[in-house]
Amino acid sequence: MTVLRVGMCPGLSHDLINALQSAGIRTVEHLVSTNIEELAQKCSFSYKIIFQALMAVRRVLLAQHTAFPVFGLDLYEELLCSTAILSTGNPSLDKLLDSGLYTGEITELSGGPGSGKTQVCFGVAVNISCRLKHGVLYIDTSGGMSAGRLLQMVQAQIPGAAEQMAALQRIHVYKALDAFSLLACLQEWRAAGLQLMSAGSSVKAVLVDSLSALFSHLVGGRQSNAGMSMMMQVAGELKLLSKDFGVAVLVTNHVTRDSSGVLKSGLGHSWSHVPHNRVLLQKVERPGSHTCLRVAELTKSSRQPCHLQEELDISYSKNLNPENQPVTS
Amino acid sequence: MSSRFHTSETGAQLFARLEGRRSLEGIAANIFPEDGGPTQGDVVEMHGMEGTAKTETLYHLVSCCILPAQCGGLEVEVMFVDTDHHFDMLRLVAVLEGRLEPAGDGSLKEETLKASLRRLSVVRCSSSAQLLLTLLHLENTFCSRPSLCVLMVDSISAFYWVDRGNGGDRPARQEANLHKCAELLDRIRRDYGITVFATTHAIMRNYASSSASPSSSSTGDFDRPYLCRAWQRIVTHRVVFSKCDVLKDKKQVFSAACSTSRTRGVKRTLFCITNSGIEFL
Repeated sequence: MTVLRVGMCPGLSHDLINALQSAGIRTVEHLVSTNIEELAQKCSFSYKIIFQALMAVRRVLLAQHTAFPVFGLDLYEELLCSTAILSTGNPSLDKLLDSGLYTGEITELSGGPGSGKTQVCFGVAVNISCRLKHGVLYIDTSGGMSAGRLLQMVQAQIPGAAEQMAALQRIHVYKALDAFSLLACLQEWRAAGLQLMSAGSSVKAVLVDSLSALFSHLVGGRQSNAGMSMMMQVAGELKLLSKDFGVAVLVTNHVTRDSSGVLKSGLGHSWSHVPHNRVLLQKVERPGSHTCLRVAELTKSSRQPCHLQEELDISYSKNLNPENQPVTS
Repeated sequence: MSSRFHTSETGAQLFARLEGRRSLEGIAANIFPEDGGPTQGDVVEMHGMEGTAKTETLYHLVSCCILPAQCGGLEVEVMFVDTDHHFDMLRLVAVLEGRLEPAGDGSLKEETLKASLRRLSVVRCSSSAQLLLTLLHLENTFCSRPSLCVLMVDSISAFYWVDRGNGGDRPARQEANLHKCAELLDRIRRDYGITVFATTHAIMRNYASSSASPSSSSTGDFDRPYLCRAWQRIVTHRVVFSKCDVLKDKKQVFSAACSTSRTRGVKRTLFCITNSGIEFL
């Protein structure tokens, strides 16, 4: 509900606003959806003046606040130029996600505690910063960020110390310890156009680890309006960031079991509609398997058939093809 | 109703009203019952949980509408309002190319594809107020383009929680924007004969349902209508999507159950998703 104010658009003078308020109209939505003729007859000014003024104001307000349609062909050509696929640094995960994270989409990683979600996020950040040489925004909500671990992973990929520092500088870490600061962060970045932290390289990915740490206590049981509304606002901001700036968004989530014992991702049904792709991580149950192995299952995808599974190695201590090397700690 | 006769309408509105829109005869005949398919002025609600192929079905309907007659399409224009930001143009083009296969060689296929894409317009909205203002603006577009027969909204329930949070503690204020959108859609479909397809998410658990199945992941448990009454009143066709537990050739099978206000009973269809769109079983 946007309240009508003087100076919002050229024809909206103080007198006109008073006349509208006396007729009970206070917001932009109310003004553009009422019948102008009836309104002009109700107000006490001259019919001709108010009718013309109202039509002009209505046209300007509609132009300022509406979204405009784009032809399908133009949208297709624009997407062909601007969509990029970012490799995650892990070939098995890339295979699962149809070669990587797509810009303009939200991918969700869900898994229980210790299933490797934070390690995979680190791997994605390091890969984008070292190999693709793009910036990464990493939002840490649970205190799981470890700069030492990032340095270890960067050192496995790049030999020289100066280049390692440059790669680390492309990863920007922000701590958001509650939902309000997360929402404020995202809105600031969207308003600033993701420019302020670029340091010469464009940002191509936003990682949120983990989203459920902020919202899981708001969901389930009696749902509070404010909590669910906040979560959907954050979802809206993430979607707009990904579409408007062409970035790939990766969020992590916890898991719960439903009444038949099947694992499903947390944060409820309202959140489940938001991500475009979802990967479920679990520990490998085979006796004698290595402790760094995990099983990833694709549970939602806009491109691949669901329930594909791959085994991942989350140690990230070798440069390429981690799947065919046994890892020693 | 009588107050409508006192308002004036412009010449363009009169012309648009009298000329009429092309009928969508036979669109997606597999999903809708015979003699019960959506015609001019109908509102189709597509309801389902996440991952049950609602957006994929919209891609199928879009391709049925925009493709030329020689490829089995209706050659009508479509306006797609994307509130979920899930619309994937690259996937839609893959579906169109799959249906254009028998059309012949490369350059002719590309020309046909471009001509079809010109019949589609996409708008993105990020709040319910913006959706309302955009629909008001689109009313003029419907007036001036008589070949625009279909409006698709994906999805109309995207701002439900945000509106509930902004509306304070009174349900009337919470639903105000969606109520106005529903009234506006009612006016658009009556005046211009537009067919509206809208998807809604299934997010409310139906605690009163006496379903005997132990698993809570069936859509029957999440079928409770939660959007405002103005919207529920204008819906004429309701299609409920769900995942089936069977697999065909290792592909997930989905089911669509359609009930309409004009026919009795529920028509069920099974389908699965291939690289080139929906394949009915």
